[in-house]
Amino acid sequence: MIVAFIILIVFAAAVSVYAYRKGDGSHIRGFKIAGKTFFNIAPLLLAAFILAGFMQVVIPPELIKSWLGEEAGLKGIFIGSVGGALIPGGPYIAFPIIAAIFKAGAGLGTVVACVTGWAMWGVITTMFELAIIGHRFTLLRMGLVLIFPPCAGIMANMLF
Amino acid sequence: MKISLLVMSGITILLAVIGVADQGPGIISQALLAGGEMLIEVVPLLIAAFILAGMIQVVVSRETINKWLGRDSGIKGIMIGGIAGALVPGGPYIFYPIAASFLLSGAEIGTAVTFVVAKNLWSLSRLPMEVALLGPRLTIVRFVVTLIFPVIVGLIANTFFSGYADKVREQIRKIQGEGEKT
Repeated sequence: MIVAFIILIVFAAAVSVYAYRKGDGSHIRGFKIAGKTFFNIAPLLLAAFILAGFMQVVIPPELIKSWLGEEAGLKGIFIGSVGGALIPGGPYIAFPIIAAIFKAGAGLGTVVACVTGWAMWGVITTMFELAIIGHRFTLLRMGLVLIFPPCAGIMANMLF
Repeated sequence: MKISLLVMSGITILLAVIGVADQGPGIISQALLAGGEMLIEVVPLLIAAFILAGMIQVVVSRETINKWLGRDSGIKGIMIGGIAGALVPGGPYIFYPIAASFLLSGAEIGTAVTFVVAKNLWSLSRLPMEVALLGPRLTIVRFVVTLIFPVIVGLIANTFFSGYADKVREQIRKIQGEGEKT
C-alpha cells in the first residue's frame, strides 16, 4: 500500500511539475479535471466500497475454502473461476485465501482458474469499473475475457 | 451512472438480506465499518490517482496519444498499453481513472482494454506477493498460461469494436460530469 502510494505520488508530482513548466496554466486545468472527476465519481465510489464491505462480511473466506477444497478436473476449474471472482479485496487478502485452497487439496487447474477468475472476473473490481468508466466499457471487456479463467485452468491441467 | 448505481445497490441489498438472515442485523454495521475502513485506507491513493489521471489529460498532447496509443498505433499501442498496465500499482480505483483518461485523450479501444487486462494478469507489483504466498511453481504456471491473453483481447477489440470507442468515451464524459459544461 505504502509502496503503491509512493509510486503514484512520484508519478503525479512529476506530471504536475511538467504541466506547470509548460507555463500555460495546464497544471490548473489538470487539477480542475482531477477535482471534478473525483467529486462526480465520489458517490459511486462510496457505493462500491459499501458493497465491498458487505461482500467481505457476508461471504467469509471459510465458505469459499470449503466450497473449493479438493475440487479438481473440469468441475473444479469452473467452480474455481467463480469462487475466485467472489473473493473480495486486493492480493494481500486474496492470495492467502487461494493458498489455503491449494493446501486444502484443490487441483492445479482449479487454483490457476481461481487466481485468473479473481483477477479478471472480480466482482468488486467490476463494480469499480462500472462506477468509473461505465457499463459500455465493462460489457465489452467482460465479453472479451469471459472464457479466459476456465481456459487458463484447462491449459494449466493439460500442460503441467 | 444510473445503471452502475442500480447494479451496485441491487447486489448490496441482496448481500445484506442474505447476511441478516444468516447472522442477524449486526452484520450491517459490521459491513459498513469494513467498507469505511477500506475507503479511508485508500483515500490518499485515490487523490494521487485522480491527480495523475487529470494531468495525463492536459499534459499528453492528442498527437502524442494518437501516435503511440491511438487509431493508427495498432500492435504498438497494444504493447505500450500492456506494459503500462503491468507497471501501474494499486487497485481498480487507480487504474480505471487512468484507463478513462487514456480513452478521453484519444487512445484506441484495444489499447485501453489491454491496459486493464494486463493490469489484471501481468501486474508487476503483485508478483512478489504471488510468489511468496502461492509459491514459484504455481505463479509460473499461472503466468505462462495467461501471458498472451492481454494481447489477444486488445487485437480482438481493435478489429471488431473500434467503432464502439466513441460510445464508451461519450459515457465516460457523462460520468465525469463533462456532459453539461467543459
